[in-house]
Amino acid sequence: MINLSDIPPKGGSPFILPMAAFLVLLVAAPFLVARFGLYHYLAIEIAIWIIFAMGFNLLFGYTGLHSFGHGAYLGIGAYAFGLFQHNVSISLWGGLGAALLAAMVAGGFVALFLSHRRGIYFALLSIAFGQIFWFSSIKLHRITGGEDGLLGIPRPPLQIGDATLALADNRIFYGFVAALAALVVIGLWRVVNSPFGRVLQAIRQNEMRARFVGYDVWRWKWLAFTISATFAGLAGALLAMAQNSAYPDVMSLHQSGLVVMMVLVGGGLVNFWGPILGVLLYFLAREVLGGLTETWLLWYGLMFVVMVMVRPEGLAGLIGTARRREAPVPPARIVETTP
Amino acid sequence: MQSILPHLINGLTLGLLFALIALGFTLIVGVMEVINLAHGSLFALGAYFALTTISGGPLATSEFGQWWLTFPLGTRYAVAALVGPLLAGLVGALLEVCLRPTYGKASLYGLLLTFGAALVLEESIRLAWGAGEQNLRTPGAITGAMLIGGMIFSTYKVYAAGFAILAILCVWLFLEKTPYGAIIKAGAHDSEMVRALGYDLGRLRLFVFGFGAALAGLAGIVMAPIWGLRPHIGLDVVIPAFLIIVIGGVGSFWGAVIASLLVGLSVGLTGAFVPAWSMVSMYILLILIVGFRARGLLGRKSALEN
Repeated sequence: MINLSDIPPKGGSPFILPMAAFLVLLVAAPFLVARFGLYHYLAIEIAIWIIFAMGFNLLFGYTGLHSFGHGAYLGIGAYAFGLFQHNVSISLWGGLGAALLAAMVAGGFVALFLSHRRGIYFALLSIAFGQIFWFSSIKLHRITGGEDGLLGIPRPPLQIGDATLALADNRIFYGFVAALAALVVIGLWRVVNSPFGRVLQAIRQNEMRARFVGYDVWRWKWLAFTISATFAGLAGALLAMAQNSAYPDVMSLHQSGLVVMMVLVGGGLVNFWGPILGVLLYFLAREVLGGLTETWLLWYGLMFVVMVMVRPEGLAGLIGTARRREAPVPPARIVETTP
Repeated sequence: MQSILPHLINGLTLGLLFALIALGFTLIVGVMEVINLAHGSLFALGAYFALTTISGGPLATSEFGQWWLTFPLGTRYAVAALVGPLLAGLVGALLEVCLRPTYGKASLYGLLLTFGAALVLEESIRLAWGAGEQNLRTPGAITGAMLIGGMIFSTYKVYAAGFAILAILCVWLFLEKTPYGAIIKAGAHDSEMVRALGYDLGRLRLFVFGFGAALAGLAGIVMAPIWGLRPHIGLDVVIPAFLIIVIGGVGSFWGAVIASLLVGLSVGLTGAFVPAWSMVSMYILLILIVGFRARGLLGRKSALEN
């Protein structure tokens, strides 16, 4: 099986063909969505989930830490954004800052417990923390609105200097979300190709070896988790703006599992672009299969099971293998070993 | 003291029932090092199959169905308690066949595959039995309330707790005192050696997974009258089960039983004083215990740590 480390270090220049294709797709998405007769909101949803899934893959695919409770930080971002608008002031940048900070603090706190763990114990503890946040969001009725959710979150206008742009219209709001998604993807591309990103991959390949080389593995794992949670917080704030509300639903194990499924189906384990493919496939499946049958999750789940059985490297891996067949076999590479 | 005793007993009862749920889960984790996230769905499946067996299902209007429904509820319930686990076990065996490509790979894949399977099973249940809440009928002999030592107990819960103790002992005796149990334990300890001694490892895994799934189905039948039956109950069930495994230590039988009692007690006691937060207490228990003892109470080294 090929893996992420087979991507040769190129210094992380963002001027590459897939990045151009992604940006073109991002610009064209509203027109494509309209052309296929789908509603405009879908493009916003996809762009938000791309931010969430790409940030998640920094942890999942690159560092090899399999968090199953990541939806919690999405929810925390959404609630923080809403509570800031309700209780402090109606401000876009303030709300986004609050969401990022809240998710970062929550993620950093949880990572204190998680960074010393590996494998299944990491996964199980991440579920436990995710469930605690989810439960709290339901039970703290006075703050979060309980199961009804936090309603009436406004969409504050975008202010840069003196210029003001209202985001109430979904078309304009999509432009804002897409711009942020582009920034996030370019930023993450830089991060994973930086020395920092290489260390994360070294930890995934063999944690013990990385420690013997002299890296303080716990601190790097803590950092990876916190950064990833912060991206989830950003996605959460945007989701709260998009829905004009925040619900505990996104924090449940189901939703956290969903992002894992998306990343894996797309091929996030083997390719930087995998999560984007996975998000696209999920939402297209939801719209197309969901239009045909009410039990579309059954078919999506079946597809996922088959994929794990026969092609665990996902969609991107499938494309990668097809291209590799044409190209000559690359010279010897570092063989991945399990500690 | 007088006021806390009922809550203690309540918590212990809940703990025994949790142990019954976790029994099949710990067996599969111990032998195959697969976290079976579909455990809860198999639990639900067992109860739903029992439901259909009791009511006659699609055959209820046929001649056979009419003849079947003339039996008293107690007889039909007893047959259902056999049929449900058996069918759940068959589904579990099928799942094991699907899991085969993931053996030898990172433990993540087994987890992911069973997560997908849980989704598929839950949707299938919704398709076959509808999304609403259903009731599993129990014979009159084990319903109602009884008085023990001046305290009122639900008769069914007393029987369920007794049954849980019986099931735990039976599984323990099976694992400790029979040659089959010896093979299973050896398979958990050193699968390569077991294969070298001439045992068919594939068949052993198939059997263990089927057996674990059947235990899940049995637990489903016991629990359904207490918790009710809905398609998404699987998720509510699998989470306590894996919490218990992690607290008790992966692969440890008595660790799982002790952890079940601890979780039951903590849920029962917090339920008495701060009912809204009773379910959170088990997560806090997990974080406290695993925070200090990474492998749980009685855990040993496992490939799942990598």
